[in-house]
Amino acid sequence: MRSILSVARAQLATALRERITLFWFLAFPLFLLTLLALIFSNVGTEVDEMTFDVTLVNLDRPVAGTADFSAGIVEVFRRLGEPRGEGQDPLFALHVPEQGADVPAYVESELAALRVGNRAAVVLIPEGFSASVARAALAPEENATSKLVVHTSAGRTSSDLVVSILDQVFVSVDREILTKLGLFDSSRALVLEERGVGSQGGGFRYVDFLLPGIVIMGFFTAGLFSVPGTILFGREQRILRAYWVTPLNVPRYFAGFALGHLGLCVLQFACVVLLGRFAFGARVDLLRPLPLLYLILAVVTFLALGFLVAALARTANAGMAIANIANMPMMFLGGLFFPIGELPVALRAVMLANPVTYLADGLRASTGTGAGVLPTAATIAVPVAWIALCIVVAVFRLRWDVER
Amino acid sequence: MTALRALLAAELRILARDKTSLTFTFFFPLLFILIFGAMMGGMGSAEGSRLGLVVQGGGGERLRDVIAEVRGLRTTEYTTSPALEADVAAGDVDFGLMWDGTILTTVVDVRRAQENSAYKELARGIASRFELAVQGREPLVAVEQVVEGGGGNADWLTRVVPGIVAFSVLSAGLFAVAGHITSMKRRRLLDRFIVTPMRPASLVAAVVASRLVVVFASTLITLWVAILVFRVELHVDWLRYVVSVAAATIGSMGMGTLIALVVRQPSSAANLANVLSMVMMFVSGIYFPVEIMPGFLRAISAATPLQYMADAMRYATGVVDMSPARFWAINAALLGLGVVLLPVLSRYLVRAERR
Repeated sequence: MRSILSVARAQLATALRERITLFWFLAFPLFLLTLLALIFSNVGTEVDEMTFDVTLVNLDRPVAGTADFSAGIVEVFRRLGEPRGEGQDPLFALHVPEQGADVPAYVESELAALRVGNRAAVVLIPEGFSASVARAALAPEENATSKLVVHTSAGRTSSDLVVSILDQVFVSVDREILTKLGLFDSSRALVLEERGVGSQGGGFRYVDFLLPGIVIMGFFTAGLFSVPGTILFGREQRILRAYWVTPLNVPRYFAGFALGHLGLCVLQFACVVLLGRFAFGARVDLLRPLPLLYLILAVVTFLALGFLVAALARTANAGMAIANIANMPMMFLGGLFFPIGELPVALRAVMLANPVTYLADGLRASTGTGAGVLPTAATIAVPVAWIALCIVVAVFRLRWDVER
Repeated sequence: MTALRALLAAELRILARDKTSLTFTFFFPLLFILIFGAMMGGMGSAEGSRLGLVVQGGGGERLRDVIAEVRGLRTTEYTTSPALEADVAAGDVDFGLMWDGTILTTVVDVRRAQENSAYKELARGIASRFELAVQGREPLVAVEQVVEGGGGNADWLTRVVPGIVAFSVLSAGLFAVAGHITSMKRRRLLDRFIVTPMRPASLVAAVVASRLVVVFASTLITLWVAILVFRVELHVDWLRYVVSVAAATIGSMGMGTLIALVVRQPSSAANLANVLSMVMMFVSGIYFPVEIMPGFLRAISAATPLQYMADAMRYATGVVDMSPARFWAINAALLGLGVVLLPVLSRYLVRAERR
């Protein structure tokens, strides 16, 4: 037993002393959790802290004594160009032509700025806009609409975000005009609701979906890289041979190695869960019996997968190459970070053969953070089948010494 | 010149035999495009989105008419709300609308964080038109959107492809030095040069030339697959493309030189390059737009060369417009980085000979 514990301690100490191991096994999962949680927990609300360069050019000059509908739009934009609060930036950094400016030349220069990304949108209120609105209001049967022209920049997300804001602005302007003209009964406005599905419990947040995925990713990379790394480099550098001249045998070495690996995974799990809970407010409970079963199954599956890679590779470099090649497709086609929707047959086959898919689905279903798309039996049977396959291949192919 | 030719031939042979390098250079960019193209191609647009609809109240015909006006939206009708919710959760439809005669409910899968804002926006647009239609009105104010610059309306995948190309160029350049050359140094292969009349600059020139050949080949294949398989609309300006790829490759080799000089052990250079390239990949706006990141991540992104390489590549492939001065400034900076640091790399090789 002492020899097993010694190997486990050595395995853990070696991993923790290696800065590169620390990065991939600890820093990278934490980095990815932070990045994805920060980006996608706030999708739709990120505009709260952004300022967009928007140009407004009003070409409408209503005849004196007639309704000026463009003035309402100008006023809304002016308000959006004011600071949102004390010490806060406005939503729009508003650009308007100066008094007496050559307006066509100004529009041209603003469109040029838009094309190269210096503006998010250029909004034109065309000449005759107010008259056109009045006509449409008086003769609704003609279905005449008055067009505002919004120029956006191709391929730029800032433009996409501004279009989304402008759509809401113009809808409210439209309702305001219709209400003023007595053409819209705001008391009969539609009641809009939103319902989220895909999680079993209420109060779901993206970080609760993400956290189990990051934990599985951490176990996956730990198994896939550390096992071939340790075994194959140890074999090549004849470190393993040194073990075999001691009373230590392969089963004991393996037991110690697996124990050390488990220790590494526990450390990794604790760091990820603590960061998720205290930095991002994740509420997912992974320490109940069923989630724990999936977590242990994941550690064992990926440990076995690491041994499969070690058994298939002739050299340490080849082992790391196989691990690197398998890493990305298995990670992205396992639904770790986002659910997988429609896929072509070939990619769907990879997804369905991928143990990561089943473990992530099972873990999420067991914690209530996923609907559980796959049958529960499959989420256990497929990883177990992978473990069996890996053990069989490793038993027959893995060499524990350079000359054996 | 003979030495350079011999070294170039040797470098190309080494590359052709190095299955790992070939995999990363040729296979990985393609794999990323295949995975992301299949998973997220058309993300964020109505075109091809699948809507599930439940109508259980009056005015359903008006709602159907409004939905029919949304171009490219595929609609499936359900008789009950639970059936619709189950299919949204299973990913059989992208989002749902349920109308009970009073309330219009939008149903989204909460896990699809990266797509939901687009679906919610679509739902808001439909709700807005439906609200007017219920009162027998049409909107008075309509919006005509004119897309300026680039090749037109670039969807998510169209923006991602040039980023993937830029990342593969960065990787090839970085690892040519912080991987290939540092590995030669570690294995003391460079010590043999001291007894030959070859100049270290010839080896550097051969590595640069071989990488340029490989990078041009791999990026062309990547673009070709994206255009042919996923119908990505790219309008490549070949002069700008050649300039971008060459400057980015040489600049990345300059960055690789910096890494090789910073680390004490040559073997650590590849590890550090790997870590840096992975961090840059996630924060440089390759997969997630920089604009939706929090402020401090946007600041980090602005400090990474990959963001500028990707911007230049998007311009060269006609996805976005850029001022020509900015384009040339980016490429001049990258080229300058290489021109300044590659002679340092030559001295690094000589230092290796004297170890």
